[in-house]
Amino acid sequence: MLEIDHLSKSYGTVQALADMTFEVRAGEIFGFVGSNGAGKTTAMRIMLGVLAADAGTVRWNGAELDLESRRLFGYMPEERGLYPKMKVGEQLRFLAELHGMPRTEAAEAVDRWTDRLGVGDRRGDNVEKLSLGNQQRVQLAAALVHNPAVLVLDEPFSGLDPVAVDIMSAVLRERADAGVPVIFSSHQLDLVERLCDRVGIVQAGRMQALGTIDELRTTERPQWLLAVDAETTAVVSALGAVPGVHAAAVPERPGAVLVELTGAALATGGGVEQKLLRIALTLGSLREFAPVRPTLTDLFRDIVSADQAGGADDDRPSRPQSNQAEVAA
Amino acid sequence: MSGARVVWMVAKREIKTRMLTKANIISMVVMVVVIAAGAIVGNYFLNRDSAPDISLIAVAQETDALQSSLEATAEARGVELEIMTMTADDATAALDGTNEDAKPLDAFLDGDPAAPRMLVGAGPDAVVQEIVNQAVQSYVTVEQINDLGGDPAAFAHAQADAVPQVKMVGEAQDEAFDDAAFGVAIAMITILFGALIGSGSMIAMGVVEEKTSRVVEILLATIRPSQLLAGKVLGIGVYGLFQVLVLGGSLALAAMSLGMGGLDLSVNIGSALASLIVWFLMGYTIFALLFGGFAALVSRQEDIGSVTTPLLFLLFIPFYTTMFLVPNDPDSTLVRVLSQIPIFAPFMMPVRDAFGALEPWEMPLALAIAAATIPGLVWLAARVYQRGVLHTGGRMKLSEALRSR
Repeated sequence: MLEIDHLSKSYGTVQALADMTFEVRAGEIFGFVGSNGAGKTTAMRIMLGVLAADAGTVRWNGAELDLESRRLFGYMPEERGLYPKMKVGEQLRFLAELHGMPRTEAAEAVDRWTDRLGVGDRRGDNVEKLSLGNQQRVQLAAALVHNPAVLVLDEPFSGLDPVAVDIMSAVLRERADAGVPVIFSSHQLDLVERLCDRVGIVQAGRMQALGTIDELRTTERPQWLLAVDAETTAVVSALGAVPGVHAAAVPERPGAVLVELTGAALATGGGVEQKLLRIALTLGSLREFAPVRPTLTDLFRDIVSADQAGGADDDRPSRPQSNQAEVAA
Repeated sequence: MSGARVVWMVAKREIKTRMLTKANIISMVVMVVVIAAGAIVGNYFLNRDSAPDISLIAVAQETDALQSSLEATAEARGVELEIMTMTADDATAALDGTNEDAKPLDAFLDGDPAAPRMLVGAGPDAVVQEIVNQAVQSYVTVEQINDLGGDPAAFAHAQADAVPQVKMVGEAQDEAFDDAAFGVAIAMITILFGALIGSGSMIAMGVVEEKTSRVVEILLATIRPSQLLAGKVLGIGVYGLFQVLVLGGSLALAAMSLGMGGLDLSVNIGSALASLIVWFLMGYTIFALLFGGFAALVSRQEDIGSVTTPLLFLLFIPFYTTMFLVPNDPDSTLVRVLSQIPIFAPFMMPVRDAFGALEPWEMPLALAIAAATIPGLVWLAARVYQRGVLHTGGRMKLSEALRSR
């Protein structure tokens, strides 16, 4: 188990990490999510010892990390780094041996991983001759080649084609199943949602949400999406009249209304959904009535926007899944 | 895994990637070939020049008496001379070029041996002229002594002994400026200077290359910055020494094949080389650490200049100070003091050694002082390197890197 215990770090006046605490259990894939500058990379660099924390510790299996235990880590830094003028195979062997692997074992592992990641035929080429995507695969091989006991990967999926993403996902799952704690950061939230056992959402150096995807999606204020053949403003005002119910039009979908149930509405028991349904039916024929479960993207956007608004804008219903593919990042 | 093994692995990578690149192998081979070609070409010209000219003088039958005298004079002057007998007509034909088959003749003598007539071609050879002059004179002298009833051999002997015995009575002036020592000294510190600048910039570029390519972050997640720096310094040092040995060795071989090894120098080249190597290693360690540490402050190749310029001055100053100060007065107090300072010592000590101006304790003391500074430099360089090497963006200030946090 990898424990990140009350880490703090600031660069001058910028607080990069503020008392961040979480853990990654053996056999678990942990997704590290947050906007740019939220502190993910800083946290990972501290885990790998390339950066010193101002306060807090990182422990692995109960013991504070030192150079010897870090040597067992596999690390993929945010900024990719390999010697451009060194052959792929030679470079990976060098890195494997630097991690303490015996020479013959290192050579065998290099062959295995380059084949697996689809760059086996480029072992004799200098890294700089490879395309960026292939360099990325080599970078992954560099993180995996010494059979690490812990994997820390900073955006391992960025720049990979879909085939490579599949290979990479399979590799991460396989390593986790072998009992290795895997932590990776990513802005591809659908991927995180699909792959990770647990997720941590970071904002401004703090862990804002932490748990399994299901835990995070369970919300205290359930949302429903209604589509009625009627004037949208009429629907909004009729539904909004129910105590504890917030209703708002959905700009992206004409005719649709998003309803959020808060304290007063929920206190009446489970009947409030039925009540809303009846009101809607009186206005026109009902086309759609479905619960809205927030995706990771929604959760993420909520946390980011809540933070940007100073956390004061609590009454505003959060938007359902939008057409925008780009995460505010 | 032991620290020494890590350092050696880093060093091995440096050596391998520098030594085994196509560019390096080609450039080394080219340089060795150029040196060898230089030696061969030089050999050709030197041997051609030193092949002695054979002068050819013909004498007429009646002037034959001059022959032995001519031979003796030519031998005394170190000139190879062939003498043949022919008639005046043949000689004229050979001299004016009418007879193209004749051997090129330098001069023809006929008539009275005591006052011969001398026929020459278009351009009379001054050496031949002098030989003939002297031969005729000595012929006449011998004739005269014989006529007077003396012994020409005894006369020659007495003449040979008639030299003054010079004795110096004044105080000996300053020793004459030692040209050979000066030449060797300048050659040595120039090589040293070049080698230090070359390997220093190689280190600086290597450090920045790792920063630019960001590979340093993976490395530092596995090994200590001090191990990375030490491996780099060691690896590039070995590579630099290899280069110096290959090129220096082939230069020495070339010089020997040109017969310069036989040059009579007042300097023992062997011991000068040994002291040069010792001081190269010392100077290399000092400057490599500084170059490595300082280079970590910048992130891009084009910024290297801003941190290495002060270090280049640190090399220029002792280089020129040594060049101007030491040969003129290799044991002045100033030179003695300066040559104990670690950045001056690598330049001054080998030069003073070449001039034979060292007290026996001076070299060991300077070595000890330099060796004692190295741990401090390692600490300083590792500290600057450690802070700087993960810093990206613009140039990091030295004070920033040295601050405790």
